[in-house]
Amino acid sequence: MKVLLVEDNERVSRFVVKGLREAGHTVEHVDNGRDGMFLATGEPFDVIVMDRMLPGDIDGLTIIETLRKMGTQTPVLILSALSSVDERIKGLRSGGDDYLTKPFAFGELLARLDALMRRSPTGAVPETSLAVGDLRMNLLSRKVTRGERVITLQNQEFKLLEYLMRHVDQVVTRTMLLEGVWGYHFDPQTNVVDVHISKLRQKIEGEGEPPLLRTVRNAGYMMTAGG
Amino acid sequence: MAPAPASPLRSSAYTLAFSYVLLGLVTLVLFAAPLGYAWRVTIDDGRTEILQEDAQRFTEVFRQRGPDGLVAFLNERMSMQIAAERLLLLTDAAHTVLAGNLPAWPGDFPERQGVYNAPIKLNGRTVQARLVHVVLPGGYHLVVARDMAHFRPLEQRFWYSLLAAMCVLLLLGMLGGFLIRRAVLRRIDDLSRTATGIVQGDLSRRLPTTRGQDEFNTLSRTINGMLDQIEQLVHGVRNVSNAIAHDLRTPLAELRSRLEEVSVTRPPLAETYAEVDGAVADVDRVIGIFNALLRLAEIDTGARRSGFAEVNVAEVAAGAVEFYLPAAELKGVSLTFRGDQGMATILGDPVLLAQAVGNLIDNALKFTPEGGAITVEVGSGADGKVEMSVNDNGPGIPDEEKPRVTERFYRGDMGRGTPGVGLGLSLVSAVAKLHGGTFDLADNHPGLKARMRLA
Repeated sequence: MKVLLVEDNERVSRFVVKGLREAGHTVEHVDNGRDGMFLATGEPFDVIVMDRMLPGDIDGLTIIETLRKMGTQTPVLILSALSSVDERIKGLRSGGDDYLTKPFAFGELLARLDALMRRSPTGAVPETSLAVGDLRMNLLSRKVTRGERVITLQNQEFKLLEYLMRHVDQVVTRTMLLEGVWGYHFDPQTNVVDVHISKLRQKIEGEGEPPLLRTVRNAGYMMTAGG
Repeated sequence: MAPAPASPLRSSAYTLAFSYVLLGLVTLVLFAAPLGYAWRVTIDDGRTEILQEDAQRFTEVFRQRGPDGLVAFLNERMSMQIAAERLLLLTDAAHTVLAGNLPAWPGDFPERQGVYNAPIKLNGRTVQARLVHVVLPGGYHLVVARDMAHFRPLEQRFWYSLLAAMCVLLLLGMLGGFLIRRAVLRRIDDLSRTATGIVQGDLSRRLPTTRGQDEFNTLSRTINGMLDQIEQLVHGVRNVSNAIAHDLRTPLAELRSRLEEVSVTRPPLAETYAEVDGAVADVDRVIGIFNALLRLAEIDTGARRSGFAEVNVAEVAAGAVEFYLPAAELKGVSLTFRGDQGMATILGDPVLLAQAVGNLIDNALKFTPEGGAITVEVGSGADGKVEMSVNDNGPGIPDEEKPRVTERFYRGDMGRGTPGVGLGLSLVSAVAKLHGGTFDLADNHPGLKARMRLA
């Protein structure tokens, strides 16, 4: 995947570029708004990581607004030290697809970028069922089966599993789960998310069945058919 | 610095009193002057009338009995006078005195008959007199006069009493001014002393108030309320500084020693990685504290009111209970929701309300021992406010600590050694305030009842 990184902090850039390349992505990096505008509007990218405050007279949000006016739908992840909810809303309204505040964990950034890049294009036919390996979920009848075994899930467990299955083969972080499944924008003191995951895991991974839900160290979880 | 005490004469109370006294004096003069004038005119007319009546009677006597008769009449009349109230004079055409108690024709008034004010020489002194001059048939002159000095004491008495009244008014005004000044000054001095004390750092000072409803009491109460707020804020800042020093220093110190140790001892790679992971966790703790502080600051400025929408508090609370349920089950604590969703809709921020409820449940979970019970209740209070409470039957919080736990970074003895940064309840309190409500902690007999009341 081709990633454009517009970020002026040298150390953060080096860290992100290195991490993304190790994850197998091609990264183009610029450290000012002018070059960012030039590249973002001139070349095709799969995803753009945009810092908000940039040297020069063009800031991140201006680039995003310009892109959206031109009709470019490239997903953009905004990276910013401005953390207030109002700033986040401003960023998303200008056309950003996700918002990550600095300082951030690389695992969080990577997981969110993956989610953005693999997002099904808008306007696609709505799915009626999901499948990971022999785990199947019917979104209409809300029936979940693993092979021949019927799994009964509570409403929350169903939503959690749906989110994980929609992000199959991607790392999802605890923060992403909190936001995506429960709509919460805070970190609970207790490890509630982990408890939810382990309860779900007990239900979907019966005895003798290959594991589907992997714990990714320092990042989160990943649903994958390969175990 | 205390401001220098104002000179008494420059005090506003005195200025006010003096203005009133001046106004009083002007009023008095404006009232007395026309009165005095009217009185004087009336008296004067009266006197003239008496003199004229006398003159008329003498003329009558002259007509009936002739000049000699009048002379006899006048002499008799004068012998009856105790003092010389009436000055009488009868002369012939050549001003030769025929009768009367005036030694000679005064000559300072016209020959024509009429009423005059003229000086008269009497017993060697000149007196101002009012006189009625009648020219009788045959050229005789009759003068009936009255020494005005006789009346002077009366007039003087009038003016003296007016003057006395003015003096009394002036004195009363000064006394009033002094009393008002003393009363006002005492209150203002209180205010000034309190303010000075506060400037010098004693934030616990308050203005004395009484039960009355006067302006000073109202002002004092308003100022005291303001001082409460300021004290709380300053304490908050102080506590935050202390707590930041403590709570941030701990992970930072740990981080520093970790890094230094790795740098100095150069341990094997696997161990180095473990230390680096530990360092990342330390940094995350610091970031967590910063995020909580930023969120609090954001709420405190009230900027988030812009994101208000209709929120069903019961739904939010029920959702949070559902979310935390697995964690509670794992700990062996029961977590239940009680409430109806009918009357619990308010204008608010769903994200913050969820975080507030979450913090309260987090807290309850942290302190409720295995086998305990937590209930989250939502209902409408007597005043129409929506009440959301998280009740547990854990150890509770000692009464004396209750007011302090919402302070930033405050951690009770129970809280020491547990995870968290001591900002959870501060956030709940700030969220309640943002929604025009309150947050308090009560005894749940046993346990803690953490209650948010939202408008």
